[in-house]
Amino acid sequence: MSLPIAELVPPHIRAFEAYVPSRPDAELMRTYKVDHLHRLNNNENALGPPPAARRVLESFEPPSAAAYPSGDCFFLRQTLGERFGKDPERFLVGNGSCEVIASVIKAFCDKGDNIITADKTFAVYEWVAEFSGFQARLIPLRNQGFDSEAMLRAMNGRTKILFVCNPNNPTGTWWKRDEMERFLRGVAGRAIVVLDEAYREYVDDEDFPDGMEIMERHKNVVVFRTFSKMYALAGLRVGYVCGQKDAVDYIRRTHIVYSVNSLGQPAAAAALLDDAEHIRSTQAMVAEAKALLLPAFDELGLPYVCGAGNFAMVQTPASDSLIYRQLMRRGVMVRTMTGFRFPNWIRVSLVQQPVMRDFLSAFRDVVDLVRQGGAA
Amino acid sequence: MPAHSPQCLTLELPPDVAYLPTAASAAENAAQVFGLDRNGTLKLSLAVEEFFAYLCRFAGREEPLRLTLSQGGTFVRVAFRFRAGDVSLRALNFAAQVDLASGPDSLSDQAAELGLLVASRTTDRCSMESSGSGVYVLTAEVDRQYPEAAPLCTPQFLIPPISVSRPEDGPLAKGLLQHAALLAAERYPVRACPASFFRPERFADMVTAGQYQALLAQDATGKPAGLLCWRASGPKSVVFSGPYVFDAAPDRVLAKETARLLAERFLSAVARTEAVCAFSERPTSDVPEGWFESLGSLTLRGEDGEGESPQAALFRHLREDVGGAVWCHPDLTPFLERQYNLLAFSRDILKAEPTQTHHTTEHSLLATSLDRRRGLAILRPLLDGQDFATNLAAHVSALKEQAQEGPPPDILLHLDLSEPWQAALYPAIRGCGFEPRLILPHAGASDLLVCQHVTAHS
Ligand SMILES: Cc1ncc(COP(=O)(O)O)c(C=O)c1O
Repeated sequence: MSLPIAELVPPHIRAFEAYVPSRPDAELMRTYKVDHLHRLNNNENALGPPPAARRVLESFEPPSAAAYPSGDCFFLRQTLGERFGKDPERFLVGNGSCEVIASVIKAFCDKGDNIITADKTFAVYEWVAEFSGFQARLIPLRNQGFDSEAMLRAMNGRTKILFVCNPNNPTGTWWKRDEMERFLRGVAGRAIVVLDEAYREYVDDEDFPDGMEIMERHKNVVVFRTFSKMYALAGLRVGYVCGQKDAVDYIRRTHIVYSVNSLGQPAAAAALLDDAEHIRSTQAMVAEAKALLLPAFDELGLPYVCGAGNFAMVQTPASDSLIYRQLMRRGVMVRTMTGFRFPNWIRVSLVQQPVMRDFLSAFRDVVDLVRQGGAA
Repeated sequence: MPAHSPQCLTLELPPDVAYLPTAASAAENAAQVFGLDRNGTLKLSLAVEEFFAYLCRFAGREEPLRLTLSQGGTFVRVAFRFRAGDVSLRALNFAAQVDLASGPDSLSDQAAELGLLVASRTTDRCSMESSGSGVYVLTAEVDRQYPEAAPLCTPQFLIPPISVSRPEDGPLAKGLLQHAALLAAERYPVRACPASFFRPERFADMVTAGQYQALLAQDATGKPAGLLCWRASGPKSVVFSGPYVFDAAPDRVLAKETARLLAERFLSAVARTEAVCAFSERPTSDVPEGWFESLGSLTLRGEDGEGESPQAALFRHLREDVGGAVWCHPDLTPFLERQYNLLAFSRDILKAEPTQTHHTTEHSLLATSLDRRRGLAILRPLLDGQDFATNLAAHVSALKEQAQEGPPPDILLHLDLSEPWQAALYPAIRGCGFEPRLILPHAGASDLLVCQHVTAHS
């Protein structure tokens, strides 16, 4: 017998799975009976925020928490405008780029419309579309990357948005300039193209098609960026969308004002000001982590996928959730990939050497255990 | 999830026998509209009459009785929602024997119980749920009739590539599903197949109605190459059957590939749903290696009753396990701790003592499902009561007697460890000859403990 409250809920919400965030670390440590926990599940930058952002955080005056933040992130948008040489009005900042995903979908989709993205990518595009009652057309990856031609074929008159995660989480693949160009010519302005560049700062390659430049030639392109990844401000929740002024104006109409807090706004702005050294050392850390892990995966005979970004995916010799539980018992938290539709893969964030060595030693243990048939 | 909105009829009736004809004619009408034949219609209206008459006498009088009749695809369901009052639902027990000769109850009370017993036996399934604060829902289902069909033994030689899809609505997909069910029924042990594979039209209707979800593999020419199906089990898990693969080539290359594709597509399909885990109590030997974890096994006698063989149970999480709490009687703690440790599961084990629960009612209630073809009975406690131990023992003997000439069925009992009162029943269950065998994570409101009746074996 369903509760009357369920009768108030539209079917697409009833069918929808509420996202279950992981429990707080202290609770997980108690549950798994460990005294430390390495968080390698969320692609966080373990180096922490760049120095100027740290200074902003340290100098925050507690009494100023009483005042509302700037409702439209005025100064942060000024800084973004200067940084990218664009009108600040073309930026819309949200409570993490996740909030902006919702705003874009609300702005452009109407009953019966659809969005197109990949089956094995960041889940939020699909989730927001489905719980808003819009169809998400999921295109299988091709060679672990977004399949531009299949995405174009999937378009119809009701397609409003194509989400391209470039580089893709979790495979780290990205489209080069010519592929992006071909794709955008194929879309031919018929729908909005979102380029989610959450991991853009991890790519140091001439051939990477920079969304900030592309949007000047393809007016239907909007770009998402975030301060959660490279800039290590995930806890403050700041991300943004940038596009043509008219597109951003429409998105703003669906967007909640005052959603970005007073600590996040100046910290994000400061992070942009001295990021060169920070980006260099983060990239170096990631490269060293890859140099340690990837040969070790080879040695274990386990296939892996690792491209751009501060994460690597490795195939496991047993169910990913079993590997997760066994790693948790050893104080290491990774991401299981069944929910990304990569059953029997895990994803691990690439961080400093000592933690990577801890991970590797726990992972080797668990792989041995599983191979000997000793784990469940 | 069915695409069309379910057909459903709801009536609120004062608890007064004067409205009996209203309830009965609503049932008759709904049964016909919902596709039951004459016999099914009779069964359903009889059940509604008996339930209604009984509830008019014993249910709480402060609220109307809510009668809901609904179409479930392959069955019609009647549900009565009522407030407890003086209700004893002992007669709904599979083993209930209403003793007309003795006891303090008046003869007419017993006659009323007898009616309830008749009603519960003539329907195909009966169950009771308490939705808290003295509100109960009594449901009964009557199945539509489907013809039985002989399994298909024609060998299939298939042409790659294999493709896997969710069958869409429509006669073409229905035909393919029926074909695949019959191919599976021939190739796999009866125990590994849902009963509906032997009534393939029923299976196809179950898929259309969303009772089962299915994935169908086809070869390059469109011939059925494999099948995997699943359904929800409790709010947080799915239970699957299969994979069934049909390629007859002796090298099994294509068969293995088909099984892998089916498993992968299955996990993709359920990965972003509400389900936290997937399991199978009857996996086939074609489950690809390394994809599921073993939960342990049951010792089953098999359909022919000859020789015992282990039946593995498999499972996997679809998300990261965040731990949880279960209730447990102290006698059961060593078993649970061992199992959870083996599975690397983190659970807080909470102590459920019989003294902490109040046996408020005299009579307990057990749900029984008996699959004669597979020789398997599953018991579930629905309501606690002072007579639980005797009631359970009566169920065990009734099940053995039911078998008559054939071998007695294997008897399992499922305990939902989210309910302290169920966990507290453990010593009584043990005393009846059951042993704990498996934990099915998240298969109920929380983990389910599967006990198996063993004394009959020795
Ligand atoms: C591809 C991608 N986009 C967006 C986000 C969300 O980031 P934010 O913290 O800005 O909401 C993530 C975070 O995991 C991501 O991987």
